Amino acid sequence: MSAAVASLCPSPTVFPTVSPTVAPTTMLDVRDVHKWYGSVHAVRGVSFAARRGEVVGLLGPNGAGKSTTIRMITGVFPPSRGAIDVDGHSTVDDPEAARRAIGYLPESAPLYPEMSVDGYLAFRASLFEIPSGDRRRLIEQAIERVAIGPMRSRRIGTLSKGYRQRVGLAAAMLHEPGLLILDEPANGLDPAQIRQMRETIRSLVQNACVLLSSHILGEVELTCDRVVIIANGTILADGTPADLREKHAAGRGRVVVEVGRADAANAEAALRAIPGVAGLQTAAGDAEWVSLVVESTDPTGIRAAIGQSLVRAAIACRSLQAEAPSLEQVFTKLLEQSRTEAAA
Amino acid sequence: MSVTLAIAKREWASLFRLPVGWVTVALFLMLCGSVFALAVLNPGQAASQRALFGAAGWLLLPVVPAISMRLFSEELRSGTIEPLITSPVREGSIVLGKYLGAAAMLACMLAPTLLYALVLWRVSARPPEIGPLLAGYLSLLLPGLFYLSLGTMCSAFTANQTLAFLSTLFVLVLLLLGSAMLPNLAPAGWRPALAYLSFDARIQDFAKGVIDPRHAVYFVGASIPPLIIAGVALRARRLA
Repeated sequence: MSAAVASLCPSPTVFPTVSPTVAPTTMLDVRDVHKWYGSVHAVRGVSFAARRGEVVGLLGPNGAGKSTTIRMITGVFPPSRGAIDVDGHSTVDDPEAARRAIGYLPESAPLYPEMSVDGYLAFRASLFEIPSGDRRRLIEQAIERVAIGPMRSRRIGTLSKGYRQRVGLAAAMLHEPGLLILDEPANGLDPAQIRQMRETIRSLVQNACVLLSSHILGEVELTCDRVVIIANGTILADGTPADLREKHAAGRGRVVVEVGRADAANAEAALRAIPGVAGLQTAAGDAEWVSLVVESTDPTGIRAAIGQSLVRAAIACRSLQAEAPSLEQVFTKLLEQSRTEAAA
Repeated sequence: MSVTLAIAKREWASLFRLPVGWVTVALFLMLCGSVFALAVLNPGQAASQRALFGAAGWLLLPVVPAISMRLFSEELRSGTIEPLITSPVREGSIVLGKYLGAAAMLACMLAPTLLYALVLWRVSARPPEIGPLLAGYLSLLLPGLFYLSLGTMCSAFTANQTLAFLSTLFVLVLLLLGSAMLPNLAPAGWRPALAYLSFDARIQDFAKGVIDPRHAVYFVGASIPPLIIAGVALRARRLA
């Protein structure tokens, strides 16, 4: 994932944490949840909450416990210990009411390939006992929101991966759930489809809380208001992407400077002399230009000093870009910390 | 109940959308047609399908597991079980819905064999009687429903359709052979009990035209425990 380039890229779209039109009710409350598979302690005391109007990303490497946590929330199996409430209903004591409040898109969107899109959505409407008066309207609404109108009479088995994912999403949102859970919704999609999926998810949050799991960091950063980072079954961090960057990625910012290859040695010397430069690396370049990566605690602030230093030393410079600390850096740092602690 | 019927309808329609459904129907009709042509449609013989109905237990043997094998196994294999069990539907509704869908498929499979009765009507000097015909169809339908319940149960335990098919076939062959042989081989004291449990004797009664409500209760009653076990297996997956 490429980091946001502060100096050149426009600011990313800022979404409100809570939609102003919807009361910020707690839709999901996960409290000290554990899961054992035999002797394997897969989820170890996970606690977090999510409110209506929020897109919360569950981020973690493969095997971190994301899917297990999601399956406990959706009622595929109960937690070994702890409690989960969905829209105020316990998933253990009142599972049907809890499930009724959830729309769930499992990983890889399992669907019946022999059914038509329309037929499948009608079947899902029956499972959720949507009154016949509302059924047609809700199916039309779901089809319109995920833009699968032209495919509605096609057999699901003949659809592309992207369309199947959208059919799964339409089925998940059909009964207008308060909590929409999407497990790896961007898996197997091309960049255009990922963008469409992101836009659809953002449109859904007006009336619901969305919990999505992913290991695609850039996608989570662009889609989610809040991120819960999970590894080895425990939560490592929970906050907005901006908060996490500020809290966990201090000292990890970088400035990328492109200088003439002939001046590379002089440039390195000049850059190392600047106060606040924590490290310097040479990155890829071409025959004429070479990129130097300056690590700094203040990548934005140090740009002026770098520019002045290069001008003073008469070094040819083609570009100078400050890279804000990315969620990837936060994620990597937390993961490294977690592994070190586990090893200790 | 509407949820159960929705699941049943989906299951029934899916079987007809898939080649496996049509091949199963074709196999059954070929088997029945062969028995009808060789053992029923004989010159000078009374207009009765007793030979066909009497073989019901064996005729259903290869086809019912083919209907039931995918009920749960395919859902478990493809992952569609996950959206199903995370919807607000009870295990009982899921099992019953799938069973009823398969039962509807069985009924549809039996329907074309009514043509045999029409043929007999046409070619016989004395037309066949309605009573034995109805009893004969009970000899196909009721054991078929019992077989399906066993197939549903086997399917709920595995994500492998082949294994579901073979395990159902194994259980059915075991029951059929046991039902036919044990009452004769067992010690004299055991024979009445084993004869009571034997379903082959009940099939033969239906084939003869005897409609005994106790036989119907027997087959319906015997179908319930496997369905309960299938529900328990599904619930166990939720509680795993």
